[in-house]
Amino acid sequence: MAKDRLTEVLERYEAVIGLEIHTELTSLNSKMFCGCPVAFGGEPNTRVCPVCLGLPGALPVPNEAAVEATVLAGLSVECAIAPYSQFHRKQYFYPDMPKDYQISQYDLPFCGFGHVDIEVDGDGVAERIDLDAAVSANLLERDSDGYVTRIGVTRIHLEEDTGKMVHVGGSEGRISGADHSLVDFNRAGTPLMELVSEPDIRTPEEARRFAQKLRSIFLALGISDCSMEEGSMRVDGNVSVRPRGQVELGTKSEIKNMNSFKTLHDALAYEIVRQADEIDAGGRIVQETRHYDVGAKRTSALRSKEEAHDYRYFPEPDMVPFEFTPEWIEGIRARLPELPDARRDRFVRDFGLPKGDARTLAADASFADFFEEAVALTGPSLAKPLVNWALGDFSAYLNAEGISLGESRVTSAMLAELVELIGDGTISGKQGKVVFVEMTTSGDAPGAIVALRGMKQVSDSDAIEAAVDRVMAASPAEVANYRAGKTTLIGWFVGQVMREMKGQGNPGLVNEVLARKLDA
Amino acid sequence: MTVSSLSDFSQLSARAIRDGIVSGEFSAAEIASAAYSRIDALEPDIHAFNELTPQLAEEAAARIDAKVAAGELLPPLAGVPAAFKDNMNLVGTHTTCSSRILKNYQSVYDCSAVRRLLDAGALPIGKCNMDEFAFGSSTENSAFGPTRNPWDLDRVPGGSSGGSAAAVAAGMVTVSLGSDTGGSIRQPGALTGTVAMKPTYGRVSRYGIVAFASSLDQIGPFTRSVEDAAMVLNAIAGHDDMDATSVREAVPDFTVGLGDGVKGLRVGVVRDMVDLEGCAPEVRAATESALATLATLGAEVGEIDLPMSQHGLAAYYIIGPAEASSNLARFDGIRYGYRAPDAADVLDLYMRSRAEGFGAESIRRIMLGTHALSSGYYDAYYGTAQKTRTLITREFAAAFERFDVLITPTAPTVAFKIGEKAEDPLSMYLSDVYTIPLNLAGLPGISVPCAKSATTGLPIGVQIIGNHFDESTMLRVASALEAALALDMTPPLTGI
Repeated sequence: MAKDRLTEVLERYEAVIGLEIHTELTSLNSKMFCGCPVAFGGEPNTRVCPVCLGLPGALPVPNEAAVEATVLAGLSVECAIAPYSQFHRKQYFYPDMPKDYQISQYDLPFCGFGHVDIEVDGDGVAERIDLDAAVSANLLERDSDGYVTRIGVTRIHLEEDTGKMVHVGGSEGRISGADHSLVDFNRAGTPLMELVSEPDIRTPEEARRFAQKLRSIFLALGISDCSMEEGSMRVDGNVSVRPRGQVELGTKSEIKNMNSFKTLHDALAYEIVRQADEIDAGGRIVQETRHYDVGAKRTSALRSKEEAHDYRYFPEPDMVPFEFTPEWIEGIRARLPELPDARRDRFVRDFGLPKGDARTLAADASFADFFEEAVALTGPSLAKPLVNWALGDFSAYLNAEGISLGESRVTSAMLAELVELIGDGTISGKQGKVVFVEMTTSGDAPGAIVALRGMKQVSDSDAIEAAVDRVMAASPAEVANYRAGKTTLIGWFVGQVMREMKGQGNPGLVNEVLARKLDA
Repeated sequence: MTVSSLSDFSQLSARAIRDGIVSGEFSAAEIASAAYSRIDALEPDIHAFNELTPQLAEEAAARIDAKVAAGELLPPLAGVPAAFKDNMNLVGTHTTCSSRILKNYQSVYDCSAVRRLLDAGALPIGKCNMDEFAFGSSTENSAFGPTRNPWDLDRVPGGSSGGSAAAVAAGMVTVSLGSDTGGSIRQPGALTGTVAMKPTYGRVSRYGIVAFASSLDQIGPFTRSVEDAAMVLNAIAGHDDMDATSVREAVPDFTVGLGDGVKGLRVGVVRDMVDLEGCAPEVRAATESALATLATLGAEVGEIDLPMSQHGLAAYYIIGPAEASSNLARFDGIRYGYRAPDAADVLDLYMRSRAEGFGAESIRRIMLGTHALSSGYYDAYYGTAQKTRTLITREFAAAFERFDVLITPTAPTVAFKIGEKAEDPLSMYLSDVYTIPLNLAGLPGISVPCAKSATTGLPIGVQIIGNHFDESTMLRVASALEAALALDMTPPLTGI
């Protein structure tokens, strides 16, 4: 998707986007209505029991921790918590659904009327064509970096996940052309929290930021691992376009299979352009569900909503309604941790971090915890170099190895020690990079590596002066050239002195001594 | 064992059996074998059972006899032969719901109420025939053939728990469990001359009973005496972590106070129900007579009308099928149960498995319920029915401010002939007109025999309705009536 094609379309059409975000509550010990463990993958049909298999006579018993997690999520996005709520049955036949109904919530969800403020900066700002017209009451702030806009949260409710189908004999595991299908119920009954946004989103970039913001909040709450790749966070988008200035909404399509933040952006961008092209060509938009093909970078119709099921929702008679008292709700509110925005602001305030770095850090709660553990050891004066390491080499290492923080060989204490060794001049920044690589492979502490390798930086000015003198004595021609005005040779001299000192010279001091002697 | 004591096995109460085992008069194994002897003799004519479980019974009896040998204290229902409606799961048995769609389904876990009864020492004798998925009032809607009434083999035992009722009435077992969604325990109780109780909704766990209508279903006992009913309720009542609708209400000993009499108790006869047009004169007369007896015993008898409850039948035939249509969705041929062969695709598999697996009444209820919940009809049907239900509940609440128990007939007629109503679902539905309002309101009710028809000799039952979680008062009235009437409710078993 060429960016200018999207912006060209957005100049003429306004996109109206709402997201439905399903988040598996992966941090819980048990499924939504039974005691089976919650986990990803595993031997098929090993984490099942009569309840999550929907065997005759089995009954669901709600997982209180899942209800609490959902209410916590609601409070984190400023939702009102319903004093009276209940589960409903959503009925349709599908082989991955053991009871042929899904226990979900209908007109009485746990949470509603919330909002999330998102910041858009960088390239994505350009998608918001109407920024100067200030037509949206949701635009809260704007400055030279970008803008802040408010996205309404319609509701958050709780339901159970389905099993997984494996279609055998078709292409890419899809059902068309398959010879037969297998069902794995390990996932069936996993607590699934669904957040529905208001159609307040106007650009694919805002959609991405909104989803990222929710991920950062849910990570801070510790209720899910929010992995789009493993499907523990799944985002569907409802998109329509209308000519700028038109009040009436266009016909929407629902986009599925957007399993990364980039895909979310690209799929919505594709769909907006597709709908605009369709209208430009005199066609009309059909209300339908469309599947995004990541490889082909396009959406295609899945099934028409016009043949949509009548879900025949009715109150789940196997459970009694929930009546939350204000005291109970306040008890949950007291469990709210520091949320990403507040943490970001604190990082800026307490450590003087650039806002962008602070936001990136705060977006991943465990990463931010890692940083805070390290900065507690180094003190705030080294916060900036620490962030640079954390977001730079350290993040690159985690990504390259495809591992999580918990699996990292480099601990927060080790990173703090490394930054301190550089900060106090024991080693140079360049040496630090070498030490870091060794830390990631050996798991040894940086101090031990420096000692073992004799990498200690030489800051003894006598030794540096002696080395400079030796280099100058051995290179009379270069000295003459330098003094004749070719001062760019300074770099060559630094290199020679560092080689003379086996790379352990303090680069600052080496520069300083060289400049003094050469300019003498 | 003394032959004389076991020759009248069919008349022994649960307490007498336990006492006999404790005293060494007979063993649990002998009781089990006496039960199976009687079943061997009667079952071919009555067809109360879908499955017999002699091995499970022998093992349970052996455990009891081992306790006796070891001098250990015996549980309260030690050695009592028990049968279970075939919608209750028990490992080692099939749980078919008398349906072709579950014909070969084997239980992989135990129904909580069944487990509690067995933990109390009862012997699992077998699984009882029923109307398919409990849809019916005659046990004719069984895929495996009807159960016959021990009082007259040409007549139905009522339903849907007809097998459980017939097994107790015929003395094949001492106690049995049924399930009651609109009267499926109490109505067959009345038609077979047994004591039949539906406890308060939430009193007994529903875990493991194949659901018909989740907000109405409740498990309860069939016995030949009120005391036995209280003993069974003692065993099965109480909160269960596996059922979110089972309550944490304290469970009293229901046998306490059974003999306290009814002096001073406020007994209300539901006048407009007794006077209902479809109520047979002999049933009306029997109800009046039972009331007179209670008055003689010192009860303060008064009258009340419950006009909202007249709409119970209509509300029930929306709510019940609505929930049933949902509960029965899982029988789709995918994971277990009957699967139609050679389906073209998954939709074809669903449609044919269900069309071939379910009987006519099940299909009728699924269609009724699906329609009632459909978009555009929900408010008019389900919404209105739920409002009616609320009004009925309030009406009963007001009635219980004036009375301790309420009295109605249990069923409008005595047992009818097999085939008499099979082709007329509406007239069949009317069998439950007195029992249904209790399910809608969640109230406990018990049917006790109060007379035998002067013309047919068939049993007539009276329904005693208690307030929520006040089964004790209800049982006390039932016990007083039972003692005062002292009816011989042994079926003649002619023709066997």
